[in-house]
This record gives sequence, structure tokens and C-alpha cells, in this order.
Amino acid sequence: MSGGHHEENAEEKILLGDMEVLKSDLLTLNMGPQHPATHGVLRVEIKTDSEIVVEAIPHIGYLHRCFEKHAENLDYRGVIPFVDRMDYLGAMNMEWGYALTIEKMLGTEVPKRAEYIRILVAELQRIASHLLFFGTYAIDLGAFTPFLYAFQDREQILRIFEELSGARLLYNYIWIGGVWNDINDSQLARVKTFCDEFELNLKKYHDLVGHNKIFIGRTANVGILTPEQCYDYGATGPVLRGSGVKWDLRRKKPYGLYEKFDFDVPVGTGVKGTVGDCWDRYEVRVLEMFESIKIIRQVLEGIEEGPVMGKVPKIIKVPAGEIYLKTECPRGELGYHLISDGGKTPYRLKIKSSCFTHVSMLPEMAPGQMVADLVATIGSIDIVLGEVDR
Amino acid sequence: MHNQIASTLNSKVPGANAQALIATIGDSSVLVEAGKILDVCKILKSEGFNVLQVITGTDYADRIEVTYSLADFTSNREVLIKVKLSRGDGNGNNKETLPKLDSVSSLWRAAHFQERETYDMIGVNFIGNPDLRRILCPDDWTGYPLRKDYVVQEKYLDMVVNPAHKVNTEDHMFGKKLKEQIGDPKKVSASWKDSSGGNADEEAKDGE
Repeated sequence: MSGGHHEENAEEKILLGDMEVLKSDLLTLNMGPQHPATHGVLRVEIKTDSEIVVEAIPHIGYLHRCFEKHAENLDYRGVIPFVDRMDYLGAMNMEWGYALTIEKMLGTEVPKRAEYIRILVAELQRIASHLLFFGTYAIDLGAFTPFLYAFQDREQILRIFEELSGARLLYNYIWIGGVWNDINDSQLARVKTFCDEFELNLKKYHDLVGHNKIFIGRTANVGILTPEQCYDYGATGPVLRGSGVKWDLRRKKPYGLYEKFDFDVPVGTGVKGTVGDCWDRYEVRVLEMFESIKIIRQVLEGIEEGPVMGKVPKIIKVPAGEIYLKTECPRGELGYHLISDGGKTPYRLKIKSSCFTHVSMLPEMAPGQMVADLVATIGSIDIVLGEVDR
Repeated sequence: MHNQIASTLNSKVPGANAQALIATIGDSSVLVEAGKILDVCKILKSEGFNVLQVITGTDYADRIEVTYSLADFTSNREVLIKVKLSRGDGNGNNKETLPKLDSVSSLWRAAHFQERETYDMIGVNFIGNPDLRRILCPDDWTGYPLRKDYVVQEKYLDMVVNPAHKVNTEDHMFGKKLKEQIGDPKKVSASWKDSSGGNADEEAKDGE
């Protein structure tokens, strides 16, 4: 705060008719670490000129647990519950990426049924994660109702997961070599019913929120990112696709059985404003949910009988070497850089988190925005602080 | 592909000393001279590698390795570039005693945060990074946690780190007792770290 002295001077100058004095001092504001719109413990130090953000500096690390150090002291199977706790809204996808990394180094073959189950849970998780984005983003922008709708459907998914793995958020379900537990027919039938109901619901939700005049006013032409900026910062996932780049690892570097599946990769087109604005990122996520339903339907058709666990040694020793493997998670690409010395524990496991990258884009996106638009921008990149800080 | 990249780098950057490390398991990489990393990255960026995905620092007994994972999102290629550094002195909180490396944040802005993380966790001083501060640990933290010889400081701002009354010793003891009772760790779960109670032959067979 500038204090009284400055204001007196200002008054004097206004009397003199000097327009320069209308330029006031910058005000430093702390948004967070406890702030409802930061979705966790993110602190953004913003310098404002009245309502306009001049500079935004993100401060992270409040949730830092150093899983990379933990991993160096655990055996390969023991790391899985830890990777769950990074992006706790996309735990299945986190596990799958890790399991794939180890399997690729070991050369393990995963049974067909396990592959189908993995795609099923990963896509359900993607829907659950995007639904949470959908609900909380509407709350950020002042609408409360969509949140309740979104959580009704998300609850259905969490119940299926609870029955499948025994946990609602942190599953430890996808293991190295397969999955922990088989899925039964009644659960598959429930997934089918969910898909049918949810597809209709989602259309309603999208009409309710996406085409709402106030929502469009708050998000269109706000927080625009060009593809060049995205490449420069290394943005991935819905943020990159929102800028109109058709880049999805499920298509570009297919893993699992994704090659066989028929689905589209939605990209931002700038219908309501400019390509790469908040509305485009919102729309990409909603359209992705429709694609996920499509994939789940194909899984339900194609799933085969058989074992769900491949042949994995009881004590896993990954041969010496290194690998960088990335998978498409709800929030973007998640990369595991594993360096092994041939022992029972990873020598080094570096985790590349997409949320970490997206937070680093705030100083680029914020300047020139209104403070309220900054809230819309932070919401639209959909970060989970557990993954940012690891 | 790696051999080709290495020869391109050798011809375009004098003294880069690029060497393709071809791996049979996992990913291959290209090792270059640490002092030339900025020039090497400039060439690679002009060759089409438009995205810097991640910078990984790894601590070995005699050296620190920094790995750059670069990707080309237009023609879908990836490459790992490695440099080797001396370890320097990573005990305090002094940037001057750390190994030095040129920053690549002028080429990809992604490097800014990635270098800050590598500095914070491994202790590498990136010369030319616009704002090289700790990012995940507090600014006044001492030591670099992902170094193998790192010891957690006992006190931070007069607060005891890991106070005994907050450590769940009961849980630790329960696990230890269970392990002693069962004898064979494999009977309980597949995720025991120690196999001391197990049958050595069986382990050897399973391990292969």
C-alpha cells in the first residue's frame, strides 16, 4: 500500500492539472496459498495497477513431498501408491504411466483383458477428472449449480472404482504386469448404464454452461495462448489442444491398445472468441469426455476373457539403462524418466508433470488481464497442486 | 537417428565431442561436452526440436549427469541429450561451490522452471537463468535433497525436522514384528523390499 503521504502528493498534482498522477503505485496482492480459486495450495504474487494485473509470480512447493526421493528407497512395486498421490484426481492414469515404464524396461507382456481394463479405468478416470474441472470452473466463475450436477455423475464413477479397487481416490489398482483385480459382468453392465445416462447428461450440462452468455463473456478472448507459446513452454494436453494443435499421445505415440480404437482428437477452433482462449480449453475437455465415452463403449464390446496379470518376477530388478516414457493424462503429458542401475530400487525416477509446466505459463498469460480474468485463466489450465509439487 | 544427430553436432559445433550412447534396453541418448550445451541446443532447435520436455539431474558417486529431453512436435521425434559435470560441494546453500552449466532458457522458456527445479533438487548452477531461486524447497533450505549423500537438516527456523513424537513408530514396529513372525516375506505381499527370509534359489529363479 502506498500510504497517506502519496495520496496528499497526488491531490496536489491533480490540482495542478497534471495527468501523470493518475498513474498510481503498483499494489502487491497475494492470491493464496489458501484461496478457493487456486484449487489447492498455490500462491500467486500479483502486482496490480488498479484492477489490471501487471505481473504474476507463482510460488509453489507447499505440497512438496519429494516422491522422487521416496522412490529411490522403495522397490518398484512400492512406488505405485506414491504416484497415485501426485495427481489425486487422475490416479489411474498416473499408475498406468508408471506401470508402462517398468513393463517396457522388463519386456513384460500384459494380457489382453488387463489392457482392456486399463483403458476402461483410464478413460473413466479422465471423465471423472474433467467433470471435476467442469464443476469447479463454473464455481470459479460464479455458477454453483453445474458443480452439483458434475459431482452426481462423478460419484457414479467413484463408486465403480471403489467396488473395483477398494478405494475412491487413490487406487493402487494398475500393477506392473496387469491389474490387481478382475472386473465382473455386473460392473461392466454398470459402466454401460453409466455411459448411456452420462452421454445425455453431458449434452445438457454443456448447453447449460458452455453456451451461457455470462460464461462466454467471462471466458472467450481471455487467457489466449498461441501454439508457439505452448511449444516454448512445453505445454501439453488440453492446453495445447485448446490452442488448435492436434497433438494427443494416444494417437501420436499409441500405448496400450489405443491404436485399435476409433476416436477423434478435439481441438480448439475459436468458435466463441479467439483460438486458444479459456472457452476453447473448456470445450476441448467437454468434447474429450464424449470421446472417452466412445472409447469405453468399444472396450465393452471388445473385452475378452482371460487372465488380468502377466508373468512378472516376484522381485523386480529392472536391467540397467534409462527410459523416458510419456502418457496422455487428463491434464497433459506425464513423463517418467527412469534411470536404473540394475538394482531392486530405481536409481533415479524423475517425473515430468504437465501441471508444473502449465503453472510456469502464468507469468506469460497474466499481464494485462483483470484480476477476475486471472481466476478464469488459472481455472482453465486445470492444475492439481499435488502434481505440481510432487 | 542418434548417430546421425551426433555427427551433425560434431560437424556444426566444434568441440562438442558428441557421442551416441546406443542402448539395447530403453532409450538411447547423445552425450555432449558440458561447456557446449548452449551451442548444441541452438543447433538442435534449428533442426526442429521445438519443445524442451524435461531436465533431469542425476547424482552419481563421481559426477552429476544432466539429461535434456527434447521433442519435435511437428515430426514426432524425441532425443535425450546428456552432459557430465563434476559434483562440486553441495553441503551448504552456496551457488558458487556448485557445478556450473549454461542455461538454455533463452531458447525454450520451459527451461526456466525446469532449471530451477534441477538447481533446487540436485544443485547445479545454471549460468544465465533469469531467476535461479529454489522452487520446491524454501529459499533458506540447506543441501540438495536428491543428491545421494544428502542429510536432512535437524532444525529449520528453530523447528525440529521430523520430531520423534510425530513419527508413527507404532506402525513401523508393527510391520517389523509382522515380518519377523511370518519369516518368509513373500507370503504376505509381493511388495516387501527385503527378501532376507526367502529361499535363495527361488529368488534367483524369480529374479531372472
